[in-house]
This record gives sequence, structure tokens and C-alpha cells, in this order.
Amino acid sequence: RHRHATPSIPNRAQPARRPGNILEEARARLHVSAVPESLPCREQEFQDIYSFVESKVLDGTGGCMYVSGVPGTGKTATVQEVMRCLQHAAEQDEIPPFVFIQINGMKMTDPHQAYAQILQKLTGQKATADHAAALLEKRFSNPAPRKETTVLLVDELDLLWTRKQNVMYNLFDWPTRRHARLVVLAIANTMDLPERILINRVASRLGLTRMSFQPYSFKQLQQIVTSRLNKLKAFEDDALQLVSRKVAALSGDARRCLDICRRATEICERSAAGLVGMSHVMQALDEMFSSPYVAAIRSASTQEQLFLRAVIAEFRRLGLEEATFQQVLVQHQALCRVEGLQPVGVSEGLAVCRRLGACRLLLLEPSRLGVLQRLWLNVSQDDVLFALKAD
Amino acid sequence: MEGLLEHPGYDGEKLRRVSEQLPCREVQAGMLLSLMGEPQQYCYPSLFIYGHRASGKSHVVNVLMKELELPHVTVSCVECVSSALLFEQVLLSFFGCDAASLLPRSPSLSDFVRIYKQRTSEFPSKQTRYIVMEQAELLRDASVNLLPALLRLQELDNVSVILLSEIVWDKFRPNTGCFEPLLLHFPDYSKAELLQILSAGRNPSYSAEFYSSYINILLGVFYTVCRDLRELQHLAALNFSKFCEPVAEGKETETHKLWKNIEPHLKKAMQTVYLREVSRSELSSGFALHVLPYYSKFLLIAAYLASYNPARTDKRFFVKHHGKIKKTNFLKKNEKTSNHLLGPKPFPLDRLLAIFYSVVDSRVAPTASIFSQISSLVTLQLLTLVSHDDQLDSPKYKCAVSLDFISAISRTVNFDIVKYLYDFL
Repeated sequence: RHRHATPSIPNRAQPARRPGNILEEARARLHVSAVPESLPCREQEFQDIYSFVESKVLDGTGGCMYVSGVPGTGKTATVQEVMRCLQHAAEQDEIPPFVFIQINGMKMTDPHQAYAQILQKLTGQKATADHAAALLEKRFSNPAPRKETTVLLVDELDLLWTRKQNVMYNLFDWPTRRHARLVVLAIANTMDLPERILINRVASRLGLTRMSFQPYSFKQLQQIVTSRLNKLKAFEDDALQLVSRKVAALSGDARRCLDICRRATEICERSAAGLVGMSHVMQALDEMFSSPYVAAIRSASTQEQLFLRAVIAEFRRLGLEEATFQQVLVQHQALCRVEGLQPVGVSEGLAVCRRLGACRLLLLEPSRLGVLQRLWLNVSQDDVLFALKAD
Repeated sequence: MEGLLEHPGYDGEKLRRVSEQLPCREVQAGMLLSLMGEPQQYCYPSLFIYGHRASGKSHVVNVLMKELELPHVTVSCVECVSSALLFEQVLLSFFGCDAASLLPRSPSLSDFVRIYKQRTSEFPSKQTRYIVMEQAELLRDASVNLLPALLRLQELDNVSVILLSEIVWDKFRPNTGCFEPLLLHFPDYSKAELLQILSAGRNPSYSAEFYSSYINILLGVFYTVCRDLRELQHLAALNFSKFCEPVAEGKETETHKLWKNIEPHLKKAMQTVYLREVSRSELSSGFALHVLPYYSKFLLIAAYLASYNPARTDKRFFVKHHGKIKKTNFLKKNEKTSNHLLGPKPFPLDRLLAIFYSVVDSRVAPTASIFSQISSLVTLQLLTLVSHDDQLDSPKYKCAVSLDFISAISRTVNFDIVKYLYDFL
């Protein structure tokens, strides 16, 4: 008996177009959502997580594991791949069957929603957060014959933080119960999260089974892209190496690397060249990494540029990184006279100042303070001078 | 004078009536009309009209809207304590009650936009709709996205927002930027214009010449201190009966005689510009002189002394045998400004009580009644509590009464306060 309709999205009128040429094919393969079957360069981590979960499932015990690493290092993808392999193994009767559920802290409006979501994924039952917590408590603390092991993946763990940390406490306390048979895999970005924000009784329950994912080196990034392309000849080797080296030097984020490659194929397509070369990659890197502030200052109006000059002049005079609007206005009017322009009035000056504040080149106090509002630069002085000098 | 306002799309007769009602504002009204265009044309998305108090901002806009029968709603931002009331008023006057009843209990901006859009698609307007916001400076205290949304409401429909304020637009701009409205300034009325407008409000039983000579005298006295049309109208109505007295008694009607007669009254009225009769009677409030209990008066005196005397002089004033204090040390010659110009200074409770015991001649026990009198002085706003409310152990106070008041109080208890004030030494 269906009480609720299954949610669905409307179907396309026409099927999605197949990739037409090599570049489109490459773009489809390089898409961040096209996760490959096996992740390159994460074999060691895969093995560690696999043996951890497998041993727990085989023994019929519970445990916790904390996985950390900067964004884009393949944490979630690796864990999900592990679970896929284990589920396959369970189907082959190599290991006992188990239940796998995952929740994501970012997808919840409130940390306590975690209880309701876990309960719904385990039993299909809908309940309020408090009721769900009570039901889960009962389920994990009472013995039941023929209970299967539950593997719970908690993504974005830091967002489940509450003042009393009761959600996190429960998540890590349940696996320690004798009859729970619960394995919790927690994922977050910072390595020292348990020491930093968790109180002692939560951190100790999380335990010392930790794993940190290092950022990809340039060789690994290059390998990831080549494995994605899978012998598709769309990129020059030098171009790929440049992308990987640049990204590895900055963050080691694989998603960033893939995005830049995709952008490079688009640029290449527009210039009607057959292969993605160095120039296309350079352009894509420029677009993705260059600061928009410098471009904004360069395209600002004359008075706005003069105002920025006046801000810097006033900062130098005061020896502080902060000035009031009326102090800057005096400098601005003096600069106008030097440049041979009509000196600005207070209203015009305020309009210029607010415009710079609206595009976040300046940080301003509320405008109702009038000429007494203080202002700060949101970019470094060197950036402003570089942008103003270049022409 | 008449027929100055001309614009295609509007009835000439109506425009004539408008210009009759708007003396000395033809330029501004003409500017507004040309911005509004013909009724079905799109107006500028938002107009910001600013000028001093009583410079005819609301009047011009309201007369234009009413006489030309344009679909409009006038909202006073003082009344709209929550944005829900604003949304309700706008929907109510544009689409009737059923639209306003669609609003949920505590509507957000997106609820308003949704219902507005839905209604305008059902009832497309043939004319520009106008939302007139009076005292628009209060919109800055509403939620941060209300003002930017109102400024670009035209993206929904043929609607235009007119903001009226006494504050310049420079103090309105939100931190994240917004669509800039068109600024329109209403300048103050000149003396000649004030004369013309005030003369129009004459009593029909007197001649126009007589009344305008009265207004001329009135402006001659008051123009230097007050250019507020509303206040001048009030003063003119108040003093006209005095001005007419000699005429009614049948005395000569020469101007300088009339001037002689009215001058003292006007000079007296000068003291009470902007003060209506009600507040005038309350000003000389001698109630506390008689009502305050004996110890409260001494507490107040002690508080006054604590507020206006530096703490280092307490020993010299209030200790009986204070030993030898060097006069050069006590009187600092470099202190030029008097404490009475700088205003009262805060003092702790201990100091107040110490001075109190010193100035009261009898022995007083520090009973609960003394302390409750201090707190009731705070409730009467004769003292103000400057430290935070929850500090029980060391509260700080300031004395909030004037020198005249405190000397009157000290006279009733036979205490010479001037002898104890550092400023008058």
C-alpha cells in the first residue's frame, strides 16, 4: 500500500545528445560527476578502509573511523567505492550481508534531523527527531537475533555540531554498545576536528582510527586526467602537465583540475583547433585563478580610481589601515585639482565610495553615519597600485 | 499663474485644479508630471523626493495623485512597524481585500512579490500604479532587502515607488548597493512665497490687504527663527485675534499703530515657537519641589554635588576637620571650563551616600527606605542609572536636574548649595 507518491522529476522530451566529436567526448568524461569505476592513486586508502569495514562486518562488532582531508581529494568517492565493492562481496556470499546508509550534514536543516533521516533509511519509518532518537536508541542497545551489521557514512561531520554535541555523542556512542553492530565512517575536512571542537567524551568515543587523505601531487592529478580520458587524444601532454602542476601547487583539488580541463576544451572548441594546446590551457588557468579585483579596479571610472588613490594616500599619511570618509574626501579633492578635474562634492564622493563598497573593493560602515563613516581596503594596497599603474 | 501645468494625457480642467492647490510649487509639480508621463506610460522606477519639513512634499504628491485620479497608495512608514502591514496596505488598495487576505500570517518579501505578480497577471493595469512612502528614512530600519526590492519593483509590473524623506539619499544607500532612484529636491519657500501662501488663508471678514499686512508683520518677526510653514500658520491663527482688537474697538487702523499694539504679543510668542500650549504649562513643573520627601531632597542635592564636583575636592567640602589642604593644590588654575558646561559626571553609590550623610545635619540610619528613595528618584528621571541594570554591587548614577531646580530644592530645606559647588568658589 503506497501512502506517498515516489518523488520523480519530469522526463526529457528528447533524449540527451550523444557527444559529437572528440572534444565533446572528452568534456563528458572529464565531468566531475562522471566518477570512474576505480579511483586511481587512492589504492592504499581504499585498501585500509576496505579491511577496516570488512573485519567489522565479519566479526559482527562495531566501530568508528574518522576520514579527513582537504576538499577534492576523493574522500567520499573512495568510501563509496569501498561500500560498492563490499556490497558486491556480500551478494557473492563472501561476507555476511549488511545495511549501508549515508547521511550528509550539509543536507540537513538542523543537526537533530540526522536521527529522523537515519531511522527513515533504516526502516522507512517517519518520525520526529526526538522520537527517532528514542527508537534508534532502543534499536542499538537491545539485543535482537539475526541483526545485520549497519554501516553508516556521515559526510560533513562538522555541521552536526551542536552546543551540547548530543548528536555526535550518540553517533559515536552507539557503535560501542554490545549489541549495536554499527560501523560509523565519519568524513570531514579538518584533520584535528576531534581535538578542536569535540568535547573529550565525544572525541574518545570517536577513537584513534583515523585516516587523512593527502592532496594530490601533480603526477597523481595527471594520472587522474589521463585515466579519465582513457586514451582519448584530446589534450597535448604538455598542456595536461601544466594544468596538473598549477593545480597541485595551489590546492591539489582534483575537481579544480577537471574543471580547468573542461574549460580548456571549450576554449579550444571556439578557436577551432583540433587539440587542446598550451595556449588554451593558459587562458583557462588565467580565467580560473586571476583575481577579479584587479580587473574591477582597471575598469572603474576615473573618479573611482582617484578615490582609491586618495584612500591609499590617506592611509600613508595616517600610518593606519583605516580612515574616515571626510579625511579621504580631502585627499580626493586635492587629487582632483592635481589632475585638473573639477573637485567632487560630498554627495558625489559618497556615491563613488558606496559604489566601491558595493563591489567589495572597500569595506564600509553603514551609510547613515554620513561623512564620519570609516572605510578599509578589502584588497592589498599593492594590488590597487598595480592595477592603477598598469595603464 | 494658472494653466502653468500642461501635459498631454491628462484633462486640462483637472490640471487647472491641481495648480490652484499648489501655490509656489508649479516647477516641482511640472517636473513630477513630466517624469510620470502619460497615465499608461512607464514612469521612472523610483523617485526620491527630499526637502525640509513642511516644504510640500507629501502635499504635492497627494494632490497630483488625488486630482488626476491615478491608482496609488500612500503608506506612512511610521505606521508600518512590520513590513507585513506595508504589504497588506499595498495589496489592499491595488487589488482589494481578497488579495490582501492571501498573504500568510507573517509574510516575507517573496510572498508579497508572488501575490503581486499573480494579481497583476490577472488584472493588468492600464495605468501606472504609484506607491508613495512617507517618512521613508524608517525603511532603513526594516529588513535589509526591503528598500532595494522596492526600488526595483517595476520589474514586476508598471508600478513606480515614490519615497518622501527629510534626509538626503546619501544616508540611505545600503551596503550591498541598489538601483539608484531619481533624486528630486524640494527647496525651502522664500519669504515672498511664504507671504503668498499664508495670505491665501485669510479670514473672509477682513480685506486681503489688511491680512497680508498682518502676515508681513508676522514674518518680519518670526522669519529669522522659523521658516516652517505649518508653524507659521499656527502662529498666524493664534495671534490674529490680538491684531484685530483695535479694529473691533473702532480705533484708527493705521499700520504703525497696529504694529505698536501687536509687537509685545509677538515678542512673547517668540519664546514659545514650536511649543504648543499644553507643553507650555507643563514646562514650569514645580511639582517635585513640594512632592519630594525630606530625605529625597537631600539625596538629590547630594547627587547634584557628586555630579558637578570633582571627587578630589570632596575632602575639602565635606570633611569637618580635614587638616591642612594647600590652596594651590586645591584650586587648579589650568582648569578653564566649568563642570556645568561639560555636563554631569557619573558617580558611584558610595560617594552619593557619603556626601548625603555629610550634608544631612541629623543622624540618618541607612534603612531600606533611603535606598528605595534613590531608586524612585531614578524612576522619576531625576537621577539616571549609567551602569548596567544588573549591577547590584556598584551602581553608578548621574544627576539629571538643572541648577535652578536644585537651588529651589535646597532653599526649601535651608541648604546653601552654591557654597558647596566647586565651580562657584
